[in-house]
Amino acid sequence: LNLNTKAVEPPQPSAALQSLKTARLLRPEQLLSLSYPAGINGMSSPNPALNAAVSKKGTSFKYDPNFLLQFKTVFTEQPSMEFHQQVKTLIGDNDGGRSASAR
Amino acid sequence: SSTAAADIDSKLVTVFHDKDNFNVKHPLQNKWTLWFTKPSSGKGDNWNDLLKEVITFNSVEEFWGIYNNIAPVSELALKSDYHLFKEGVRPEWEDQQNKHGGKWSYSFKEKRNIDINDIWLHTMLAAIGETLEEDNDGEVMGVVVNVRKAFFRVGVWTRTIGKSIPNRGDGDVAGGKGRPAEKGKQILENIGKRFKEILKLPATEYVEFSGHTDAAHSGSTRAKAKFTV
Repeated sequence: LNLNTKAVEPPQPSAALQSLKTARLLRPEQLLSLSYPAGINGMSSPNPALNAAVSKKGTSFKYDPNFLLQFKTVFTEQPSMEFHQQVKTLIGDNDGGRSASAR
Repeated sequence: SSTAAADIDSKLVTVFHDKDNFNVKHPLQNKWTLWFTKPSSGKGDNWNDLLKEVITFNSVEEFWGIYNNIAPVSELALKSDYHLFKEGVRPEWEDQQNKHGGKWSYSFKEKRNIDINDIWLHTMLAAIGETLEEDNDGEVMGVVVNVRKAFFRVGVWTRTIGKSIPNRGDGDVAGGKGRPAEKGKQILENIGKRFKEILKLPATEYVEFSGHTDAAHSGSTRAKAKFTV
């Protein structure tokens, strides 16, 4: 008798995906006061061109592309459990795209 | 980790501090929706059936989750498009919020010589990072990339063609009666210049602006280009 039911449990979201779903959006004053780990250019970077910015009024967010690029290898999880399947349905798998465009 | 609720309140943990256990994320100024146009299978396809909403997001972290898990432009089939538009705006010129507007666009005809993935990424980053325009310009509606046999075309859609439009009031806003035509044109040209920088085009190349209605009524957008930068 096999009482191991693990195989039928639905897959659980990764820790990163759970964090994405539960994390709060930074408020402007929080973004201004954040200190990032060494090597990350945040608000206090010596090079202002690399910074995230909050407008003087404190109501709008602007982000330099170089600031945004720092996230590229840091958040790599799919944004929902169903995303890969959803994208496959909408866009098709990549092989289909390649063969359709191949000449 | 549910016992740490009090600590979470007092300590802001970003994805850079802990990529698996962060409690704050970076907000975008606007919510954005990614759309995809499926290539037509042949005759009889309704374009509205081919235009598909993929996902709406409002944080930098979620943007990268999407980008890192979706086909790059270089792997899309011919006749595909990606559109990244502000939430609530359909990426077609008939949309109420687009019908008085236009677009800056450029076609890369040497498809093998350019990194379209990098160009599209930087176009999207300028949109979501709000660096295509100034705070109160209010022109940018979305960005688009078209994959075609002869070219990749990248575009930035604007709310107006630099003139006032119905139902935008008397203020100095995009399409408002309080915004002088000269200022409206200047704002559009500045968006075009920034777009040209993102595309890394040499000075000898031009990006062209055209109104959607002109484009829809004439076969050729080129003939009706209103501005170039």
